[in-house]
Amino acid sequence: MLKYAFRRILGMIPMLFLISIVVFTLAKLMPGDSFSGEIDPTKTNPQYIAEMREKLGYNDPLPQQYFRWIGKFVEGDFGKSTRYKIKVSEVISEKLPNTLLLGFSSIIITYILAFFMGLYSGRKPYTVADNLIGGLNYLGLSIPSFIAGVFAIFLFSFTLGWFPSNGSIDIGMTEGTFEYWLSRLHHVFLPAVVLGLLSTASYTQFLRNDIIENSRKDFVRTARAKGTTEKKIYNVHILRNSIIPLITFLGFDLVAIISGAIITETIFTYPGLGQLFLQSVGTRDYPVLMTLTMLFSFLTLIGNLLADILYGVVDPRIRLD
Amino acid sequence: MEILTEKDTNISAAPPKKSSSQWAIARKKFLKNKLALTSLIFLIFVAIISFLAPYITTADVTRINIGEMSLEPSSQHWLGTDKAGRDVFTRLLYGGRISLLVGMSCTLFVILLGTLIGAVAGYFGGTVDSLLMRFTDFILNFPFLVFVIVLNAILFGKVNGLWVLIGVISLLSWGGIARIVRSKILAEKENEYIIAAVSIGCSPAKIIVKHLLPNVLSTIIVQATITFASMIVIESALSFLGFGVPQEIPSWGNMLDSAIEPDVLQFKLWIWMPPAILITITILSINFIGEGLKDAFNPKSRR
Repeated sequence: MLKYAFRRILGMIPMLFLISIVVFTLAKLMPGDSFSGEIDPTKTNPQYIAEMREKLGYNDPLPQQYFRWIGKFVEGDFGKSTRYKIKVSEVISEKLPNTLLLGFSSIIITYILAFFMGLYSGRKPYTVADNLIGGLNYLGLSIPSFIAGVFAIFLFSFTLGWFPSNGSIDIGMTEGTFEYWLSRLHHVFLPAVVLGLLSTASYTQFLRNDIIENSRKDFVRTARAKGTTEKKIYNVHILRNSIIPLITFLGFDLVAIISGAIITETIFTYPGLGQLFLQSVGTRDYPVLMTLTMLFSFLTLIGNLLADILYGVVDPRIRLD
Repeated sequence: MEILTEKDTNISAAPPKKSSSQWAIARKKFLKNKLALTSLIFLIFVAIISFLAPYITTADVTRINIGEMSLEPSSQHWLGTDKAGRDVFTRLLYGGRISLLVGMSCTLFVILLGTLIGAVAGYFGGTVDSLLMRFTDFILNFPFLVFVIVLNAILFGKVNGLWVLIGVISLLSWGGIARIVRSKILAEKENEYIIAAVSIGCSPAKIIVKHLLPNVLSTIIVQATITFASMIVIESALSFLGFGVPQEIPSWGNMLDSAIEPDVLQFKLWIWMPPAILITITILSINFIGEGLKDAFNPKSRR
């Protein structure tokens, strides 16, 4: 098991190397460079621009540029954002906590909702409430996250006024106070629910079907025959068996959150990495764009790796070799 | 055969009944599934009115009409007009045309590419298999949305926007299908009839196309419906973000992008509500069709 995990982690290195080549090539293929976006050619001496291009190494052969970039990248020097004029690492670390909060809240809300809905549906299948939950699940699986977001803002922010529709914090909050964190949670709740909608639906569905399947197994019959209370059978015997396979979804959740964050953060104008990414595409902020793409790819790799390893942990019959 | 049975009517009561084929059983089961059937009819209806859009409405989709900006629904404009004075109902029909076209083309390319790579990898095995599957892993490990956005930003304006979008989406999303087809082919090729086909000298291409693919076709069809739904979601999400179908072409996603303005979202429901609802119902009905097909092809399910 450990050996397998270790080998998979080593196997990530060539993958990251290949992805870095793709990212670099794509960034070079994008129209214009940071000069064409930021400098007004009528005001600046064209000779100066040409000089600066030469000085910054934009005219060097591509492989040389690549190795210079990747060399610095590995050392943790991601370059300087051409838009914010500060280090990329600073730009990213400023937005990272917001996205982390969004991701974590989304996973936690997903777990809580799916746990209760799945447990109820599994215990009382084919009842009215189960069908209702099933219908909601279908909707959750079918409605695209950006439409869910738009509807959520319309309903909960504008019509009912329960949650704020944008931003990550109220203006004029002092950092560290209780109100500050409350305000942040208040802001993150709606985007987090929308972000976790798809996984909530699939978790619930899975839990329900697994509980129904387990309740027909021999060990449940034995437990009933022994006189174990129905409550204990469901909450202890069946739940233990049904809840474990759920952790295999964690890896996929990580992958889904990355793509989901781009969409959700845009709708809720939530200042996180996804929004930063779209901005950097729009403003041709290549250092930020390349770093974020590498970061997202890295997280996707981790997510897929996690999913594979967790499968092995949960089901020892899956041989990992 | 029939003449024979007619002659024998006085001896045996009924001729031996020919059992129906896999496809006939599936068709019968599917037709009994009311939800799936209703969904299919709805989808066909949406597709037909979308593709007949030029004959149904006479309003100009592209012309910006400043005099008729953000009008509420009325007898003249059934669903009102958007912020540029364009008729929402007309744009909804034309938008459906683009969204369904993008969805279908992407699905077609994804299925073709995924089946080809999966079938070749599964049938030949060995080095070919590991090479192709490493490549598939490589594609699957890309954060899909991120790369589609970056690729679209690069190619935008150089080639006709719509086909760039279809190409980019298709090239990045065949990985899942390839994996599924491969695993199905791997299991299927162990059967004796494949060994028989090999021993009488069938070429690999013929074995894959004539013997293996028909047996994994049901899986591919079910996957195709799921892919179709997700492709419509992807197209509309990308267009919503401004990285999909070019702005001047109406699509369901493009129609929704004004919903990001609080004023439109709060007070001008007729601009964003119709495409939002239509996308959701379309996806829902495709999912129901997919479930119905899955059920119909599943020999264990009895309905």
